[in-house]
Amino acid sequence: MTVAVRTQNLPPIKLIRNVPKEEYYVPGHRTCAGCGPALQYKLVAKAAGPNTIFVGPTGCMYVANASYLCTPYAVPWMHSQITNGGAVASGIEAAYRVLLRKGKREGELPNIIVMAGDGGSTDIGLQAMSAMMYRGHDALFICYDNESYANTGIQTSPTTPYGSNTTFTPPGSAIPEGKKLFPKDPPQLVIGGHPAVKYVATASVAYPVDLINKVRKALNVQGPTFMHIHAPCPKGWKFDAAKTVEIARLAIETGMWNMYEWENGEYKYQFRPKRYKPVREYVKLQGRFAHLSEAHIAKLQAFVDAKLKAPGIPVEVPAPPPRAQA
Amino acid sequence: MAKEMMLSGCAAAAQAAKLAQVEVICSYPIRPYTAIMMELAKMVANGELDAEFVHGEGEHAQLSVVLGAAAAGARALTGSSGVGVTYAFETYSPIAGGRIPLQMMIADRALDPPGDFGSEHTDAMSCRDQGWIMGWAENPQEAFDNCLINYRVGEDHRVLLPQFVCQDGYFVSHIPGKVVIPDQSQVDEFLPPYALPHPLDPKHPVSHGPQIRPDQGTVMNLQRAQAMLDTPAVIKEVIDDYNRIFGRNLSPFVEEYMTDDAEIAFFIMGAHTMTARHAVKHLRSQGVKIGLVKLRFVRPWPTQEVAEVLSKFKAVGVVETSTSYGGAARGGNLLHEVRASLYELPQRPLTTSFMAGLGGEMVPLKDFYYMADILSKAVKDGKTKKTVYWVGFEAED
Repeated sequence: MTVAVRTQNLPPIKLIRNVPKEEYYVPGHRTCAGCGPALQYKLVAKAAGPNTIFVGPTGCMYVANASYLCTPYAVPWMHSQITNGGAVASGIEAAYRVLLRKGKREGELPNIIVMAGDGGSTDIGLQAMSAMMYRGHDALFICYDNESYANTGIQTSPTTPYGSNTTFTPPGSAIPEGKKLFPKDPPQLVIGGHPAVKYVATASVAYPVDLINKVRKALNVQGPTFMHIHAPCPKGWKFDAAKTVEIARLAIETGMWNMYEWENGEYKYQFRPKRYKPVREYVKLQGRFAHLSEAHIAKLQAFVDAKLKAPGIPVEVPAPPPRAQA
Repeated sequence: MAKEMMLSGCAAAAQAAKLAQVEVICSYPIRPYTAIMMELAKMVANGELDAEFVHGEGEHAQLSVVLGAAAAGARALTGSSGVGVTYAFETYSPIAGGRIPLQMMIADRALDPPGDFGSEHTDAMSCRDQGWIMGWAENPQEAFDNCLINYRVGEDHRVLLPQFVCQDGYFVSHIPGKVVIPDQSQVDEFLPPYALPHPLDPKHPVSHGPQIRPDQGTVMNLQRAQAMLDTPAVIKEVIDDYNRIFGRNLSPFVEEYMTDDAEIAFFIMGAHTMTARHAVKHLRSQGVKIGLVKLRFVRPWPTQEVAEVLSKFKAVGVVETSTSYGGAARGGNLLHEVRASLYELPQRPLTTSFMAGLGGEMVPLKDFYYMADILSKAVKDGKTKKTVYWVGFEAED
């Protein structure tokens, strides 16, 4: 009887030149120039290697990749609804457990990776994600965060930052800052209530070696793992497509994005600058924040300052305004 | 050796699933189908059945889990009732369109509002047009039979469609009846192992469900439609095999009772067929020329068989246990399908529908006598007065 485990020990890499040359997310898709989500997908696929199954909930990384009956995946891939990435992955994992046990498949449990957007992870897909974590399925759930429903034309999602201009939060005379709410904190949603989870990490397209090593670490863990990957979107955030990595790096340097690992209850932080740059430097490069006043930027700065006291720990945010004012 | 047991519909269905050696099961509680999962949970806990039993976080998740499992290459089973069936609605088309032959057992329950535990076919009937095979069991024996028959039909590579295997809540799901449980060896002879043509396997990478252009959509719809068109021939083969291996005498699509020389007939499916049969027997003893036709599959709808068998009668009463508010015939959906089946005939019987058993009400013998009376009057008058009678709520007749 084969017990469905992965004994693999995907090794960490040291330098960018050690990134595997093999592509499992191959060219030929139709993502936008400078697409952050596509860049992280390529790196995740390289990190995971050939013994991998991807589940792709509806989102940019479905629509822009799997077009006209063609896909860029050199490993098995399955579409799921935007609602149910975690549940479909749970089923695949359960199937492999029983098929390996019964000798109907050979080898080891494959890497099962859900590649979900912020909506498919933290909004409409939250229930399925949470249940996969709760039940302890051996799969990695990745939330690639481009901070909006980008594929449908840049609508606000739970991770869209305060003050963003999206097509559902347009700034106007009555609502000058655009988005009024502060974002959900996806890794904290997972860490806070899922005892079966032993490894959670944030990553960014700005630091590919770190990203690859975190993916590998997550895949080496037996049981459910979660990664929150910052993936800037030139179209949605309105910045020059050549600056995706620069924007991603600035997010970390200003504290808008925090890099950390959470392993068995312990936090480890990466890329923490000695002195954070003001969020203004991040904001001024992006059209989605172009309408913000000094007061709005100060509010965003205050949120970041509070968060930086202990990255990874939820901060108090201003309560949403009463409906009459909203 | 085959053995005989007294089992409820739920317990019978669970026994069939065990003999089908289902590999991934996904549960979520809602009455009355829950009893199927409770039985299977015990079997897994006792080691009688080697399967992964996943606790879904809702019906939508149940269907999603078994979709992933069946796509990966495991025989998968789920089930639900009432609003649970409709909560999962998003998943039905992707499963059928992905040609993933998993099975969903439904023990019917009325939809809200208000909360009603009673059985009504509307839950499953609301999902009938997604490309799933669908049919009802009259009793626990058929609840058992239909599980095995549907797996075999759905998994056939000429078909590759998921299956709604339905039984009336309580009337079938919770009332014990005699069930012959065959040997594992007989089931193994009947049902080959699950073999999806392109499962998710890193050794043979495939993509499931990429986006298409609008002009590719029709082609895929046509393929799904063709699979449905090809299904009746497979059902016939499979029922022949079932009858041979298990020593049974099932009809593939429609089962007739006392239809020789009958002038009027009930057209019915599911649990209330049993009462209708008793009513027919009694009415025959009174000299009424009445018969009964039981429908076994709603999808694929057996158009030709329905037309052939119903053309023998002067008037047909379609007993509906589901609603189609504002539909063409103002009654349930079965009448629409029956009338469409009869349309090409040079001589059509009179047809009307009887709304009966809604909300899970009993349909007692006297209701069938009432229906028979209306059908006899229609024959005498040469026409039906109405296309729908809400049995028990009509002022006249």
